[in-house]
Amino acid sequence: MTQPARGVHPLVAVAAAAFLGLAILLQVVRDRSVPADVFVQRLLYVRSPQVLDRVVLGFDALAADVYWIRAIQHYGGDRLDVSGRVRKYQLLYPLLDIATSLDPYFNIAYRFGAIFLSEAYPGGAGRPDLAVNLLRKGIATQPGKWEYYHDIAFINYWQLRDTQAAAEWFRRAAQQPNAPNWLMPVAAAMLTEGADRTSARFIWRQMLDADQEWLRNRAQRGLQQIDGLDQIDQLEQIVASVPHRSGEPYSWLEVIRAGRLRGIPLDPSRTPYVIDPQTGRVSVSDQSALFPMPETKK
Amino acid sequence: MSPAIDIDNLAKDYAVGFWRRRPYRALDRLTLTIEPGEVFGFLGPNGAGKTTTLKLLMQLIYPTSGRATILGRPVGDLAVRQRIGYLPENPSFYEYLTAEELLTYFAQLFGFSPADRRKRIATLLDRVGIGRERRFQLRRFSKGMVQRVGIAQALLNDPEVIFLDEPMSGLDPLGRRDVRALILELRDQGRTVFFSSHILADAEALCSRVAVVAAGRLAAQGRLADLTEFTVRGWELVVANLSAAALERVRPATSRVIEISPGRYSLELSLAQPADRILAELVATGASVVSLNPLRETLEDFFVQRVNAVGQGSRTEHEAVDARR
Amino acid sequence: MRAVRYVAINVFRESIRDRVPYNLVLFAVLLIGSSYLLGQLTAGQDVKIIKDLGLAATSVFGLFIAIFIGIGLVSKEVEKRSIYALLSKPVSRSQFIAGKYSGLVLTLAVNVAVMTVALYAVLAYMSWTESAQFKAGWERPAADPALLKALLLIFLELMLVTAIAVFFSTFSSPILSAAMTFGLYVAGHFNADLRNFDKVVDSKSAATLARVVYHVLPDFAAFDIKTQVVHGIPVPAMYLGATIGYGLAYIGALLLVATFIFSRRDFK
Repeated sequence: MTQPARGVHPLVAVAAAAFLGLAILLQVVRDRSVPADVFVQRLLYVRSPQVLDRVVLGFDALAADVYWIRAIQHYGGDRLDVSGRVRKYQLLYPLLDIATSLDPYFNIAYRFGAIFLSEAYPGGAGRPDLAVNLLRKGIATQPGKWEYYHDIAFINYWQLRDTQAAAEWFRRAAQQPNAPNWLMPVAAAMLTEGADRTSARFIWRQMLDADQEWLRNRAQRGLQQIDGLDQIDQLEQIVASVPHRSGEPYSWLEVIRAGRLRGIPLDPSRTPYVIDPQTGRVSVSDQSALFPMPETKK
Repeated sequence: MSPAIDIDNLAKDYAVGFWRRRPYRALDRLTLTIEPGEVFGFLGPNGAGKTTTLKLLMQLIYPTSGRATILGRPVGDLAVRQRIGYLPENPSFYEYLTAEELLTYFAQLFGFSPADRRKRIATLLDRVGIGRERRFQLRRFSKGMVQRVGIAQALLNDPEVIFLDEPMSGLDPLGRRDVRALILELRDQGRTVFFSSHILADAEALCSRVAVVAAGRLAAQGRLADLTEFTVRGWELVVANLSAAALERVRPATSRVIEISPGRYSLELSLAQPADRILAELVATGASVVSLNPLRETLEDFFVQRVNAVGQGSRTEHEAVDARR
Repeated sequence: MRAVRYVAINVFRESIRDRVPYNLVLFAVLLIGSSYLLGQLTAGQDVKIIKDLGLAATSVFGLFIAIFIGIGLVSKEVEKRSIYALLSKPVSRSQFIAGKYSGLVLTLAVNVAVMTVALYAVLAYMSWTESAQFKAGWERPAADPALLKALLLIFLELMLVTAIAVFFSTFSSPILSAAMTFGLYVAGHFNADLRNFDKVVDSKSAATLARVVYHVLPDFAAFDIKTQVVHGIPVPAMYLGATIGYGLAYIGALLLVATFIFSRRDFK
């Protein structure tokens, strides 16, 4: 091989690229073979926000962002996990807690936590108590934020079934600066009629205007769930009106043959409703996006 | 016999200017051949391209065009480095090493056995005049002492061809005399010495052949005797006991008068003047003659003339280069 | 190869004469001092903290040495022009780079080795002075051999940082090299976050870009198994092997490119 006029042979550059390729190949092989759990522990090597605050040396907001991203990825990763393992979003609260401790004004983190910590599995962690903790922390830093009071109120209403508490929180929300004027009427409605779908619809509709897409999606789903509840009531009436021989299992075919329905009814997410063969109760399929449905009185 | 160093149309451009559009030609198509056993002087003013040439020969920089070989092998050949030595201009080495350690390091790179290393290093350091200081770290060395160490490291491997870039720089007169003697010794041993300098007196004393470069171009090359024509251009007359009156009478005939001490003068007479008649007149006034010497054209005159010629030529050439682009 | 060896030895010698070993003294003082102070604190946690501290300090001290000497390895010789005489000897530019790199790696190896011994000595002492009944409650023994796995990867990480520093040193000024090396170190530590981007981002192109960046950046996050080792979480041999292989291959790529760049340079 003739020596080039300047420097080492150009093949050296090619060899360098080959080495880099080898490195990447090894990286891919390693990532495929090692379960992600090895890294999960590492995410929270430092659990204490105070320690982390010191370690991060003034880059608090940036670190808060990192933990926020990790929180979303953790939620997403668990959500999309098809391995069949029961995932409980264990790290969601600590990650959000750290993010909001490092940056107490991190609004999105509080609101994300409000929704996805309180929501029942598989949509969320099913820990409304942790959600309330997080929001209380937010209120402690920014007492005037009506959204945090509103979120606590909603959790009390929707998950904890404590309409008195919900009403109280709605009232306090209404007293914050810049609070929208529909909060007071909702508080009042809480007190007079208890858990009812009209109020719930109302609150979800407000949330449709939110600037975060996932908030809007959640609101959309909430509305669909309430529509589903209404539809279930109607369907159960229809089923009850069809003559039924005892001992026979209930089925949609029976209803359709009786001419009361034209086809198997679909819930607002286009998934067929399920009718219990023994009791004739109608419910949403557990494959449906609306599952699990909230329980409310009319 | 094949040349020790063969330089063929070697050129080096540097890209200057923000957009790198105007190349600066540091060396313009140099062609030179140096035969084995020669002491070759590579002369020129500062910035003429001498160091550029040496760096091209050591492959510290790469040529824009042209080639060069050393001992028949292309520059940069690793095996040839075993047989050559190089002293950079104003050398600097590793401050934290002692002189002995530096030479040991280089000797290790040559692959000498430990015993061989010790012997060579001791001999060389003696030869260049470094005594006890060889155990001190180089950071404590004066410029002259670093230069001596530099010469030592250039000779470590008994090289056949030695390249010296301004070997006299930083040395006092005693040191310079030592280096001159050393170079002559190397010549007597049959080695080839290629050294660059802007001090013409050294070249005159040492070289068999010289080349003169200026502004990156070769202005002249050849045997020293051939280059400086032995034309007598005048006389230098040194007289003593010259009275002031006699001096004034003879002054119009002189081209230059220098007072050496009271009554003692050096008079320069051009060829046109009748030197012997003036001499007789002065003696008649009572002055005594100290010496009468012919003035020949020196290397310096030749040098200045050729460098200026290149200067004239380079202006037109640069215009031509620009026009071509 | 002889040239590489002697250039390397010279780098090592320079690091000693530049007083690098003093950092070991600082390390020892730090470790011994902390172990004494922590001994007065909560029982049981002090061994874990000493392990954490020892591993972290080994990494940090080594990092400083790797960066601050690494960035000057090549550029200092070129700037001081000591490279002129050196390259007239039978040593090629590639051998020069290889020698310089090896020399610094040798320095780091000695550094890490001494720190390892010091750490184990302190842990052994803590173990020796602790009651047996108490020790039964420890997750892992004090002088745990598993620490060596973490230290091995720390050493490899330092080798990689050195390669990056040398790479920049072949064409860039010391300050710029330091900034870029340190920048890559920090970025490489957040690599784990980039990897999972595709799980939650809608845009396919953003996820692909994140993936590409994840693979191109040096994956420093992967060398950090300090947590696992301290908590006794097993590290699969496959993981160790693949990560070591990754490191060596990446280092190889960097040194080859550095050689390529350096071999074409004019030393003005």
